[in-house]
Amino acid sequence: MGRRHLAPYLLIAPSLLFLLLLFFVPLIQTIALAFQTGSGIGLGNFNQMVGDLDFITAIKDTFALVIVVVPLQLALALGMAMMLRKVRFGRDLVLWIWTIPLGISDLAAGLAWLSILTERGYLNTVLFHLGLIPRPESWLTYETPTALFFAIVIAELWRATAIVFVILVAGVQLVPAEYEEAASVFGATSWQRFRRVTLPLLRPSIQTALILRTVLAFEIFAVVLAIGGTNFPVLISQAFIWQNQNQVYGVAAAYAVLIMAITLAATLFYLLALRPRAGEPA
Amino acid sequence: MAEIRIERVVKSFGVVTVLHDVSLVVADGNFVALLGPSGCGKTTLLRIIAGLETQTAGKVLIGGRDVSGLPPRARGLAMVFQNYAVFPHMTVRENVGFGLTMARADANRITRQTERAARLMHIEMLLDRYPAQLSGGQRQRVAVARALAVEPAVLLMDEPLSNLDALLRLEMRAELKSVLTEAGTTTIYVTHDQTEAMGLADRIAVMHQGRIVQEAVPTEVYRRPRSVFVGGFVGSPPMNFLRLPVQHGVVRLGSLELRPPAGADGTVMLGVRPEDLAPVENGLDFRVQVVEPLGSHLLLTGTAEGQPLRVVVPPDTVVRAGETIALRPDLAHIAWMHPESGEALEP
Amino acid sequence: MKPIKRALFIAGVVLLCAWTIVPIYLVALGGLGGEQVVYAWPKPFWPLSWSVHNFSAFLAIQGIWPAMLTSVEVAALCMAFSIVLGAPAGYALARYAFSGANTYRLTILLTRAFPVGILALPLAVSYVRLGLYDTPLGVALIHTALALPFAVLITSSLFLGIPRELEEAAWVFGCSGFGAFRRVVLPLALPGVAATAIFAFVISWNEVFAAAVLTVRHKTLTAFLLSVLSESPLQAQFAGGFLLIVPSVIFIFLVRRYLFAMWGIASR
Repeated sequence: MGRRHLAPYLLIAPSLLFLLLLFFVPLIQTIALAFQTGSGIGLGNFNQMVGDLDFITAIKDTFALVIVVVPLQLALALGMAMMLRKVRFGRDLVLWIWTIPLGISDLAAGLAWLSILTERGYLNTVLFHLGLIPRPESWLTYETPTALFFAIVIAELWRATAIVFVILVAGVQLVPAEYEEAASVFGATSWQRFRRVTLPLLRPSIQTALILRTVLAFEIFAVVLAIGGTNFPVLISQAFIWQNQNQVYGVAAAYAVLIMAITLAATLFYLLALRPRAGEPA
Repeated sequence: MAEIRIERVVKSFGVVTVLHDVSLVVADGNFVALLGPSGCGKTTLLRIIAGLETQTAGKVLIGGRDVSGLPPRARGLAMVFQNYAVFPHMTVRENVGFGLTMARADANRITRQTERAARLMHIEMLLDRYPAQLSGGQRQRVAVARALAVEPAVLLMDEPLSNLDALLRLEMRAELKSVLTEAGTTTIYVTHDQTEAMGLADRIAVMHQGRIVQEAVPTEVYRRPRSVFVGGFVGSPPMNFLRLPVQHGVVRLGSLELRPPAGADGTVMLGVRPEDLAPVENGLDFRVQVVEPLGSHLLLTGTAEGQPLRVVVPPDTVVRAGETIALRPDLAHIAWMHPESGEALEP
Repeated sequence: MKPIKRALFIAGVVLLCAWTIVPIYLVALGGLGGEQVVYAWPKPFWPLSWSVHNFSAFLAIQGIWPAMLTSVEVAALCMAFSIVLGAPAGYALARYAFSGANTYRLTILLTRAFPVGILALPLAVSYVRLGLYDTPLGVALIHTALALPFAVLITSSLFLGIPRELEEAAWVFGCSGFGAFRRVVLPLALPGVAATAIFAFVISWNEVFAAAVLTVRHKTLTAFLLSVLSESPLQAQFAGGFLLIVPSVIFIFLVRRYLFAMWGIASR
């Protein structure tokens, strides 16, 4: 069967061609579009982007969101992954419940938490029943930016922790129990075991999870729009507005390039910061 | 039934050569075992015969026909795989009849052959079950029945018993031997277990690093190994090899004097099996380090002439660790090897 | 584990489960519980009356039903494309060791490290020229780009799980290359391929950004809901959220084993 040598390449060709056309070409186009001004190549779009009223706010909001959400999710997902190991009875059920959010779109998540946090929503109902508030409070207006921020954080925490969780659970399974058993035989407490044995062995999974989650975090879109509306501008919603409402494609592309650059930088940061030390397996 | 001829087969993967110029003839109706350690190329050779791999050079002939370029299904053979390869989504009946179904045999023939093969392998009560409901041993029988059902000219077996536990392996070995002897099918059987090879095969081809180093009947391979490797690989515990000086054409073994073959010069390797050394009054001094009572015999480990030696003695022999006893080899059962090349020296 | 610790542990697990389920329950409540629930204050935690009135009112909102149909169409197309493009690639990765396999795998993974939805921006322009703007096909194409890496990786681990020996046995006992694939590999791979298809469906069903950018009059459900977010009545939002969630949750339940297998999680 010597003709086998061609077969794999023929099999992957369609997918490669597809990605070329629908990923790489638009990628180049985005970059090209961003640098195109009325009179050739230049930074005109970027200037316009930076000069926009909402730009600084969008940058602040986006970074604030990412910096708060990602570590929180990592901690929560780590905790959940560790807890899952100790669940004896009903592990499958718990695993399924905790991964349900994987199937939920960010828009739906936004709507769900909107129903909870809105003026006549469930949170206020609970607070009312507990006697903490006399009448419905509004948490989601521009007058309460901090509350709005945390509302978005909670919604994102609810929705997307499952992604990190799943990656960590897979990673945890690759950590043979023997290492921790050895550590406990030699006197380590559970916190010490976690810090010195489990965590370092989880490093590759944590790296993957962080990269994936951070990239996705810079894309948080529908949740923000559902809960915050226009009161909480983020980079990607700005790109959306410039594309669909203002119809100035160049600036939208500039935003896109900015997001991609930030994402790339973050990925490189994780790859460097969490790279294996000399002698450690990759 | 057909004769299998392998002519000068070479197999390389890039710069790594796995089979060096291998030639072998398996006579019609013979059972030949390809025996060797892992990595020696035996499975590769089998897969080349089957047509699952293509040789880099050389030819394979089955029944006089050159099948070298043909796909497996055109070669007229059947195969039993190491992990059985029993189709999980088909019943046992469909599995066993698979080859015949592919050959578009008529329904009567398929039923007849399937049931006959199932009876031979004692699985007729399992015909309507699915493989997931069977034990490993039962799945193995299904794999063999599938191969027998097509009444092949050539049967290839790739370590079929290696995934079974020890007792099952013993039983299956005996069953296989009786079934295959009856059928008279030309069989090539790959294994790393020398007991299996010794017990099942008409002839053994010992392989080492991509070459066949000896091909003979089992007793010949056992008694007259062609190299240090063969002597050490066949037989358990392995053959002992002592490096001894030759002085004036004579080798001293303690108080014994032996005459090595003519080619021996300087030093020579003496090969002797643990069971061919008997305790005597005067002879080779053997310092016992470990005594293992293994039920049917005692296994003594120690040193002689400053080199490691293992000896098998009757179970009621009185001997203790730390003692020194004298041994005498059975001179009819010793082998002389060249100290550098490891090849046997002809007397 | 000491009893106190165990009690705390169980409480923690239950709390986290509740934390996941309660919001979904509340959305369901709003979607199915009747109009009173939506406008009531304080909100009841139990439906006052089961009513599909919300739903029929919701579906009657102009544009919702067509939007749902569009979503289904887009998701179905995405599903088909992902399988047709991804499964052969997955098979190649699983069965053949060819130079460039690792580069290919890396490239596939890399596309996930980029915000793919953003690529809808320049595509919008190209689509206008190609006549794909505001069509289900156009949206389906970029959704396929999103789903393709998963399709390739899931099918690849799927085919790896089907031992090569089975194909070889089929070859030895009389099958041609394609015959072996048809009779042995396909039946065994079908459940996993179905799971991949469902996964692609869900990815497309849930996607918001690209769908919103690339459609004007033929919106998908997500794009539609986004556009009417501020103006629509509350019960429409609830019902919409519920409609978005339920199919996804059911689908994920069906394919969870394969998702976990792809990420390497074994179920004990």
